[in-house]
Amino acid sequence: MLKLDKVETFYGSIKALKGVSFEVPDRSIVTLLGANGAGKTTTVRTIAGLTAATSGTIEFDGKRIERLKPDRMVSLGIALVPQGRLLFSELTVEENLELGAYSRNDKAGIQHDIEKAYAQFPILKDKRGNDAGTLSGGQQQMLAVARSLMSRPKLLILDEPSLGLAPLIVEEIFGIIQRIRDDGTAILLVEQNANMALGISDHGYVLESGEVLLSGTAAELLRDPQVQRAYMGHGDAAIEPAAAGSHN
Amino acid sequence: MDPVLIENLLQRIVTGVLVGSIYGLLCTGLGMIFGVIRVINFAQGEFMMLGMYATMIIGGMLAAVFGLGPATGAYLAIVVAAMVLAGVGWVLQRYVISHVSGARVTGSDNEGHFAQLILTLGLSLVLSNMALILFGSSPQTVQSSLSSSSWTMGPFTSGAITVFVNQARAIGCVCAVVVSMALYFFVHRTRAGTSMRAAADNPTAATIVGVDVEAAYARAFAIGTGATALAGGLIAMYYPVNPYIGVEFVIIMYAGVVLGGMGSMLGAFWGGFTMGVVQQLSTYFLPFQLQNATIFILFLVVVLLRPQGLFGRSTERT
Repeated sequence: MLKLDKVETFYGSIKALKGVSFEVPDRSIVTLLGANGAGKTTTVRTIAGLTAATSGTIEFDGKRIERLKPDRMVSLGIALVPQGRLLFSELTVEENLELGAYSRNDKAGIQHDIEKAYAQFPILKDKRGNDAGTLSGGQQQMLAVARSLMSRPKLLILDEPSLGLAPLIVEEIFGIIQRIRDDGTAILLVEQNANMALGISDHGYVLESGEVLLSGTAAELLRDPQVQRAYMGHGDAAIEPAAAGSHN
Repeated sequence: MDPVLIENLLQRIVTGVLVGSIYGLLCTGLGMIFGVIRVINFAQGEFMMLGMYATMIIGGMLAAVFGLGPATGAYLAIVVAAMVLAGVGWVLQRYVISHVSGARVTGSDNEGHFAQLILTLGLSLVLSNMALILFGSSPQTVQSSLSSSSWTMGPFTSGAITVFVNQARAIGCVCAVVVSMALYFFVHRTRAGTSMRAAADNPTAATIVGVDVEAAYARAFAIGTGATALAGGLIAMYYPVNPYIGVEFVIIMYAGVVLGGMGSMLGAFWGGFTMGVVQQLSTYFLPFQLQNATIFILFLVVVLLRPQGLFGRSTERT
């Protein structure tokens, strides 16, 4: 579905991605782990076209996409739930959902999908006329996920969906992510919460300083002592000081 | 109460409503640019000025070439002028102002506002001086009899009270209300309108869902300049134009948009409407020269009591 090959990206004058390669197969969940500053969000932004890749290739559905404009991605079938959610805070919940379907033209289908989103997230139906900015954190995350699904994506990218949410809500969101995969959408999950993310994933990659450090099936990574030390709080030493949960 | 006083008051209210509606459209145009996509455009007054000159000159030509009456020619010219200036606005946003607005300045300290201010202030000087070279400094008027003809309302109360409705203002009022309503509908009920509000609300998010943010900004800017130019044309039907008239009106426009509440198209219209009514009513109590001072006193009072403007969101202060 999605394949990155030796992707390099600069962030200002700093080389943020130093030849990142990984793959997201059809109907699977792939987790991208890494500490703050490892290049996770840069990877997401590069796939979405928001940051230009300086070399390497990105293939989606057999097509090269690394030179496409970011607003073209969604019509190819890539949807993004960005970090910090990026809702249209002064627009209503329903308008946010409608905008999620901006790339589509089938009015009846869009209406059907809005009803489907309300069935899936009943709280959004109650708040359909409210400004998105007035929702709670968990509700906003649900709206962000619901909005991204409105484009009927083939690949859904979620950048730290658990950030700043209560554990119960995180669990709910992860349950939803699994259901989306079961409905046939491939998922790239970017997380710091390694335990939960790998728990629902098929594959995982560990990113560090802009490079893929480790990769394997989710089960392998969960057993890996390095991963356990750095991302699950087992043992005392971390691979990198940054991985121990500092907020830089 | 003395019927003469009542007649005076009624006359001013009627004129205020007519003029206010046209100001409402004027502000709706700026509301699109300053309120919806949050670009500071100090050249907005010059777009109005250009709309006025275009109405006068194109109108005269149309009348001469096709043998139309001066009024018919002028009203046709208003439509042409609005479309031409919408095109100018589109080009300007797409190729000039886009460097200091939208996605390129998201997250920067002042969201590009300083650069927009300087850029459009410069543009306003260039445009007004260009008009000075082309048209000269003396005020000119559209040659039509409408501005001096009136319909008569009344007489009421056994012939004591009669109110005159100036024809140029009345037609302007109707046009302004219709166009403002259409713009409101466009911005709030159509896909293109929603994409503009989305692009303004969060450019990155809009890009992610597939909105071409630069195109949405250019469209919004075009509509904003077109609407203001159209209002300018309507004003030209009863008010003389000079190269510096933009300065006189741009302040009213900004005050109207802020009074109504940033981001609200409806608010911008009512803000402008209030400006017009207050301006006209003030001449009942105060000397003519003080009519703009009254506007700003009202403005201060509203901003003091309701910082988010008449129709603004309570979370947002002007």
